[in-house]
Amino acid sequence: MKLLTCPMNGPRNIDEFQSFGPVRARPDPNATADMEWSRHLFRAENRRGVVVEWWRHVPSNYFFLAERDLVSNEIIRTFDASENRGRA
Amino acid sequence: MNRLPAPFGSRIDRSRPVRFSFEGKSFEGYAGDSIASALAASGQWVLSRSFKYHRPRGILSMTGADANALVQLPSEPNAAADRTPISEGLQVSAQNVNGSLDRDRDAIMDRFGRFLPVGFYYRTFMGPRRDSWLKFWEPIIRRKAGLGVVDTKAPHRHFDKTHLHCDVLVVGAGPAGLSAAIAAAEAGADVVLCDDSPEIGGSLTYGRHDPAALSGLSSRIKAMPNLRVLTGTVCNGWYEDNWLPLIEGHRLHRTRAREVILATGAIEQPAVFRNNDLPGIMLGGAVQRLIRHYGVRPGQSAVVLAANDDGYRTALDLLDAGVSVVELVDPRPAGEAGPLEAELRGRGIAVRKDATIEAAEGTAGNRHLARVRTGGSWIACDLLTVSIGQAPAWQLPCQAGGKVGYDAGAETMTITLPKGPVHLAGGVAGADDLQDAISSGKRAAVAALSGLGHAVAEEPSTASQKGARPRYVQPIVADPKGRDFVDFDEDLQVKDLQNATKEGYREIELVKRFTTVGMGPSQGRHSALATARIVAEATGRTVGEIGITTARPPVGPETLGVLAGHHEVLERRTALHARHLALNAAMKPVGAWWRPYHYGAASGAEEAVREEILAVREGVGLLDVSTLGKLEIRGPDAGEFLDRLYTMAHANQPVGRVRYCLMLNEMGSVIDDGVAYRMAEDRFYVTATTGAVARVYADMLFWNAEWRLKVDVLNLTGAFCGLNVTGPKARLVLEALDSDIDFSREAFPYLSGREGTVAGVPVRVMRIGFTGELSYELHCPSSLAPSLWDTVTAAGRPHGLRPYGLEASRILRLEKGHILIGQDTDAITTPDELGFGWAVSKKKPFFVGKRSIEMRARLGQTRKLVGLQFPDGARNIPGESCLVLRGGAPVGQITSVGYSPSLRRHIALAYVHVDDQAEGSHVTVKCRNGELVEVPVVAHAFFDPTNARQEM
Amino acid sequence: MPLRLLKYGLSRDYPISGDIPATPELKPAYDVVIIGGGGHGLSCAHHLAKYHGINSVAVLEKGYLAGGNTARNTTTIRSNYITPEGITFYKEGVELFERLSQELDFNVMFSQRGQLTLAHTEATMRSFHMRAEMGKHMGTRTEVVDQKGVEELCPLINMDYGGPLEILGGLWHADGGTARHDAVAWGYAAQASRHGVEIHQRTEVQGFEVVGDRVLAVRTNRGRVACGQVLIATGGMNYDVALMAGVELPIRCYPLQAMVTQPLKPWLNTLVSSVSLHTYLVQSSRGEVVIGGGSDPYQLYSTRSTLDMKEHLAEGAVHLFPFLQGVRLLRQWAGITDMTPDYSPIMGASPLANLWLDCGWGTWGFKATPVAGKRMAQTIADGRVPDILKPFALERFETFRLLNEMGATAASH
Repeated sequence: MKLLTCPMNGPRNIDEFQSFGPVRARPDPNATADMEWSRHLFRAENRRGVVVEWWRHVPSNYFFLAERDLVSNEIIRTFDASENRGRA
Repeated sequence: MNRLPAPFGSRIDRSRPVRFSFEGKSFEGYAGDSIASALAASGQWVLSRSFKYHRPRGILSMTGADANALVQLPSEPNAAADRTPISEGLQVSAQNVNGSLDRDRDAIMDRFGRFLPVGFYYRTFMGPRRDSWLKFWEPIIRRKAGLGVVDTKAPHRHFDKTHLHCDVLVVGAGPAGLSAAIAAAEAGADVVLCDDSPEIGGSLTYGRHDPAALSGLSSRIKAMPNLRVLTGTVCNGWYEDNWLPLIEGHRLHRTRAREVILATGAIEQPAVFRNNDLPGIMLGGAVQRLIRHYGVRPGQSAVVLAANDDGYRTALDLLDAGVSVVELVDPRPAGEAGPLEAELRGRGIAVRKDATIEAAEGTAGNRHLARVRTGGSWIACDLLTVSIGQAPAWQLPCQAGGKVGYDAGAETMTITLPKGPVHLAGGVAGADDLQDAISSGKRAAVAALSGLGHAVAEEPSTASQKGARPRYVQPIVADPKGRDFVDFDEDLQVKDLQNATKEGYREIELVKRFTTVGMGPSQGRHSALATARIVAEATGRTVGEIGITTARPPVGPETLGVLAGHHEVLERRTALHARHLALNAAMKPVGAWWRPYHYGAASGAEEAVREEILAVREGVGLLDVSTLGKLEIRGPDAGEFLDRLYTMAHANQPVGRVRYCLMLNEMGSVIDDGVAYRMAEDRFYVTATTGAVARVYADMLFWNAEWRLKVDVLNLTGAFCGLNVTGPKARLVLEALDSDIDFSREAFPYLSGREGTVAGVPVRVMRIGFTGELSYELHCPSSLAPSLWDTVTAAGRPHGLRPYGLEASRILRLEKGHILIGQDTDAITTPDELGFGWAVSKKKPFFVGKRSIEMRARLGQTRKLVGLQFPDGARNIPGESCLVLRGGAPVGQITSVGYSPSLRRHIALAYVHVDDQAEGSHVTVKCRNGELVEVPVVAHAFFDPTNARQEM
Repeated sequence: MPLRLLKYGLSRDYPISGDIPATPELKPAYDVVIIGGGGHGLSCAHHLAKYHGINSVAVLEKGYLAGGNTARNTTTIRSNYITPEGITFYKEGVELFERLSQELDFNVMFSQRGQLTLAHTEATMRSFHMRAEMGKHMGTRTEVVDQKGVEELCPLINMDYGGPLEILGGLWHADGGTARHDAVAWGYAAQASRHGVEIHQRTEVQGFEVVGDRVLAVRTNRGRVACGQVLIATGGMNYDVALMAGVELPIRCYPLQAMVTQPLKPWLNTLVSSVSLHTYLVQSSRGEVVIGGGSDPYQLYSTRSTLDMKEHLAEGAVHLFPFLQGVRLLRQWAGITDMTPDYSPIMGASPLANLWLDCGWGTWGFKATPVAGKRMAQTIADGRVPDILKPFALERFETFRLLNEMGATAASH
């Protein structure tokens, strides 16, 4: 069982967590043309490299971010989402 | 017959004889014997027939690693005879035989070998007709393939799972593992030491060593409380972050270790020559195990093939066990005689250098070894022991990220682990002898302790003092007559692998897949190295370039039972469960929840449902809606939060009002619906469907992780219960209750909510319209729900209140044309398709899905959910999911259908082509029996379209 | 005794068929470059050469032949999907499998013993009815069976559980079956080679030379190759390879794990799959029972196995067939699945005029090996997408024309 270190609760078995996928840019829907909008909706962040993604620790409902290498599965770091704010 | 006296036989208890049977014959052994050792003691050397050629096979390794020793137990196919203990009355039989083990009719396959080259089944069995494989050939192949038989009536066995945590896990309790565990524990670490044998000591228990070596180590083990020893425990895999399964009989220990030391040893390799599979040809370690563990004399007259010291020690052991050693054959070029050779010669044993075993021959039917040929001459013998080299046990290290290499100079397989919390010790790390093993164990402990943050002194290496010792490699040449096996499990000979490369399967993975080498129960333990050498030679590359195929868990076989463990099924019951049972409800699972479908006997189901519907339409009914999702949204931004998540306007929803809420995903597809009751400026009570609430809750939290609105979301689904009181007499019932809530129409209009108490139970009540009748939904804390149920039931008695179930509820809502999420909606349903334009706010600047539904509207609709009404007395009524056709092509389907007692006809909801949505259109529906019917489209709200009854 | 085998017994030297020629020198240019030497790529190459007379074809495979998902799938072949477009496509796939051994003169061991998917909830039964109605309408053998039907089709299934896991019925798809995945790839490779196609193993595409809307060449570890047409068919690497060409695919990669038991004498005669348990089982002709389930829950490009999945699959298997408790597991492995938002593949044109896509095969790729190869070859040869492939266009997402097959995949492989 892989370990994931929750910034709030410390290292836990990964089955205590739910993945919410890579952090996505949120274009202003009212300032985005139709085709651009649908392309955004279905765009996948799937590069073979490091991704920043959302995780939920289910028992505590705490949401946080992780930097993970999608090839080695190494979790480089986990951190509170407040770090990312202001750089939306 | 073949028993040796004590002190031989460390595992057997001669005071406890055990009787068992093999192939219907009675045998006797001792407690502690394995099936193989007990049979060997009685002179039964043949244990099985090989997979393809059905050649007699017997003991090879005594480590449970080869298919030669697989036998059939009642309820357990493919049991390793060399590892499974005998028990009183155990019935053992052979596998994969046609007839009996001794007279296997399929042994004739050995004669036809040349017609069955490697991969022969890809060249043929295709005809004469297209279905010949399926109908004729495959059934034959299937019967011939496979080993053991599964017992479909096997009794249920109990398994369980635990969790183990430790600082250091040491796998393997041989000299290296023992040293490592002792060193780590003495430094204060919390250590677990495991070994799959019944005793600790590994090679110290069966090899020719000074007994003080073992007692010295094992005595230090006993005293330490921070060292847990698990014998009879297999470590069957390494998984991310040092998570390892330790299997102890019926128990799976899921183990988390901060540091892991793998001291799993090395695997003795067989020699390749013609007829190298005969019973009586065994690896050196097998012979030593038979002698020391089980007190079994492995033969009468032996030839020893030895290219290392262990082989020489085996020869001496044979002499001590009273076996006549005719000759020791050492393939290495003649050199200085070492002390072991001198001792052997001193005991009168001939040692022939620079020679090897060229071929063997068996007795009639190849049932046992009869003689071997070396240096051109035959030597009669009934035992050949083979000690020509080892491969480190690469399986666990490779799973842990280890890379296998080949040291061409030293002619050995090497394993390199990346720097990290896994370390190697002993034979698996290339340690050559006992001292090396012990010192390598200590060094591994130092590395592990350092990983834990302990400061430890370095342990010097002993290996570097001696320098690498040259090892011998037996060249592998195909015998022109064949039967020189590389893989015993799969009956693969040298030429099979060579021919595969000639066919173009030159990469090791392709060789494996085409020939199936290494794909049998031993998973390449005895064949991978030889295969790499053969393929290297055949394709003009080095062994290092060829490599071995990927090591995958499990390391050794493990039963599905121990992996599955104890079966648990999650069930959920509402707090009113006992009430339903007392009322003789027909309970059925809906997801994990138990819900009443109707009340009364199953035989009267149809009638009961009709009566329940009638009760709701004309009197008053009571429904347990406790499985419904219930979420409380609190905070200054609560209204804004709901505005963004749902399609209707909630920020401006007045306090005390209840509003339908519809949730879309970003694509604009409907994912859930419910109602939102604004209890206060900063507090909403929102319902969700039973099936979607977990997802809705998670999504809410996720969105707010991004939006950071000042809002708190509470999931009260299990904490609260819901009772729906519905019917024209509902108000009468509720007004009869002791409550501070005014249930009158004026004080409590349709689509509003009130808080208060009913008979002392705090409730929040909402007036909604699911059934189409006057309806009050009372929600209260679950612990008080039974009392509330009783109160309402008592108050309802004079009015004929009747509890009703899911079946009736479904019809009631269908009569009103209400959708059920997940039944009338699918992954792409938009509000437009449902005719829910009224539920979509035009004013809000944003809600999830808004942008998409606007775009999808521009792209144009293709289908619409409409009501269908079947004529009175219609004969052929389509079922759920029946197709709606247009021009012969499917354009939609029936999503809900049922008989409406209120309308006395069948009604349905269905997706139809967007051009057919107008009332009065006719659509074609294909019934289950293929018949087509034409059905008119009607408005959704079949019953009481003005909603007068629910708004009274 | 099958006559073919006589030649092996009666010749002194082993008579070589020469399935896979050694990798030749890489030419500077080919009419068609197929990136990906798995089943789909090889099938396309075979069809190009045999049916369209195009044999200036190079199949470029980064690793060893068909070592990706073709080597790792659990060999389910079926057409019991939900959408009419999907059923039409997969139905052709099943029909091609029915003739494949003859087509390739290589026994792919196509065993059409049927697939039984079990329903434990009413919602599942409803979806089964949908698939049965659609399947019957589109001409496949697909029907709903009740509890008694399930027992008749597979008497060994444990029907004793009540409660949430009670088996209510099933979807019986008589057209379903299995085949030996490696044999399919090798058969196509052998035939394609005989028709002049070049197969290049250990040849990795490392970049594209794109000018305007055309691919001029690909750069490989063995040199530059000019291309008339290019096909991307690289399974779990599709996103990556397409990105190199500047094409973004709406694909996310997830591991899909499976495992296999030791070989047993035959006891299971159909494919059995359970939606609620997320587990399916089939017994191969070798006697091993292959057990698979749903994808891993988070994105990852790795073929590592987990203990959690193994325990989960064992639970599912033992739940359905309790007597399997005593059966031993041999091996577990994984593949990397390229998942699309609607669980249907992406086939046809790309934004570049001569770059074609055979991607987004998720957990549903093996069964389409012959039909995808055939139809992509047709596409490349004709320079336009045939009607049967049009619904699978990459553009469908832009206009919300999804082909939603989620209910028919995952554990119901």
